[in-house]
Amino acid sequence: MDAGFSEQTRPAAGDPITEEEALRRLRLTDDPSAQYYAAWWLGRNRSTHPEAVPLLQEALRQRRPRDPGAGVEENAVARNAARALGKLAPAAVQAIDDLLATLEDEDHGLREAAARALGELRAEAAVEPLLRRLAGGPSVAGAQQPGTPRLMEPCEALLEALGDIGVSTAEVVAVIEPFVQHERPLIRSAASRSLLQLTGEEHWGLQLVELLQHQQLQVRHAALMDLGGAGWRPALDPIARTLAENSLKLIALRGLVENNCRAPEPASGLAPDASTTAVLEVMDALL
Amino acid sequence: MPAVLELVEAVRRADTALGLLQATQALAAASHPEGAACLVEILGFNNPGAAVAAVDGLIAIGEPAVDTILSNIDGYNYGARAWAVRALAGIGDVRGLPVLEDALGKDIGPSVRRAAARGLGQLRLAELPEDERRATGHRCLQALLAGCRDGEWVVRYAVVVGLESLAQALDAEMAAGQRQQLIEALGALHADPEEEAPVVQLRAALALQRLGVPHG
Repeated sequence: MDAGFSEQTRPAAGDPITEEEALRRLRLTDDPSAQYYAAWWLGRNRSTHPEAVPLLQEALRQRRPRDPGAGVEENAVARNAARALGKLAPAAVQAIDDLLATLEDEDHGLREAAARALGELRAEAAVEPLLRRLAGGPSVAGAQQPGTPRLMEPCEALLEALGDIGVSTAEVVAVIEPFVQHERPLIRSAASRSLLQLTGEEHWGLQLVELLQHQQLQVRHAALMDLGGAGWRPALDPIARTLAENSLKLIALRGLVENNCRAPEPASGLAPDASTTAVLEVMDALL
Repeated sequence: MPAVLELVEAVRRADTALGLLQATQALAAASHPEGAACLVEILGFNNPGAAVAAVDGLIAIGEPAVDTILSNIDGYNYGARAWAVRALAGIGDVRGLPVLEDALGKDIGPSVRRAAARGLGQLRLAELPEDERRATGHRCLQALLAGCRDGEWVVRYAVVVGLESLAQALDAEMAAGQRQQLIEALGALHADPEEEAPVVQLRAALALQRLGVPHG
């Protein structure tokens, strides 16, 4: 699963603004709430302005050590900057070093955002630090932090980043595999998705299809997003039958069309092949 | 008590999500006009499974359900509105046109706009007298052309689907200029370099192929 649907909600203060205005606001280092919206805007609108990536890198460096007594607005800006950089691939590859540094931050939320962005940027340099953070397995990295609902590491994001980056060595697979047994179904879903992306093995896809039947809606949502993220076409009918909102099924099916790793479709050009057409027809019926 | 009222009563008594789903399916299967008000109410229960069944039931009832749907559009719940618009789209009655136009142009819920875009392509125009058919088709086309600029990919996707079915519904009727406009809109969606969603471009390519227009 990824943060996709929580991010579809625009932050408040969402007047329509221009790219120039977003860049201006991102420079306002004494006004974190203006920067927060500006960083989000640049990612959402996939800015290609040459100043966007350097300014987002600056915003990422504004992060601070977590001080429970003080505001952490700079970290909120940094989090949005990391998310935006993930969306600006491939232009944002120059920010990979900054994101790798952010992956070492004490702030759990920042590590999560950095991991997702590194995944979107397919940053192979991130594989080693991601593996290091997950190395303890479900009982260490995946243990619950005392006094919070969080796990010690943002495991979902770390696992999914490894799947997105796509380095499929025995070592990577061995680190991810124990998380398929994690007590939380959302972590199981993320791990299965990653393994499906890395190995293409059917049984990981079937694990996700099984989660589409989970009694909790939130888990069904995660499995939908993960099947879409992996682009696993055999899930077409199970996705269509899942008890969930059509909006989420449509996002998952878009993923089946666009993330099909074995047969990438050209963005434009000829009409879709038979397998893609079958997915589109199911989408049509869900509108 | 007539059978349909017993089915309505079973919906009212349902106290679990699964119970509601089963009671709704039974009521929908009756496809009786007196079940329409209850089916419309179910659209607002935030139970997607039951809502799907209720929409199917309303579509099965068809024209006799249209007034009930139109007079109960929920201004505050866009989930419910999306389902109501889907039901109108499925029935295809032209009395739904103003609601569909308004929904695609103005509704804040992308799920409502996407259902409206699909519906604008599937009104049952063939039953109308010729002049009314032309005028209605023209309004559908204008609404869909404006929808090409929607900010949400899923709405643009639905606009493509709407344009494809509108072209098929009007075909020979459609003035050459209008058909040209429609084809150009699909071509623009297919080739737009700013399009963030390849799936929209692919769907437009499929629509052009089905309409027999060379592209790419």
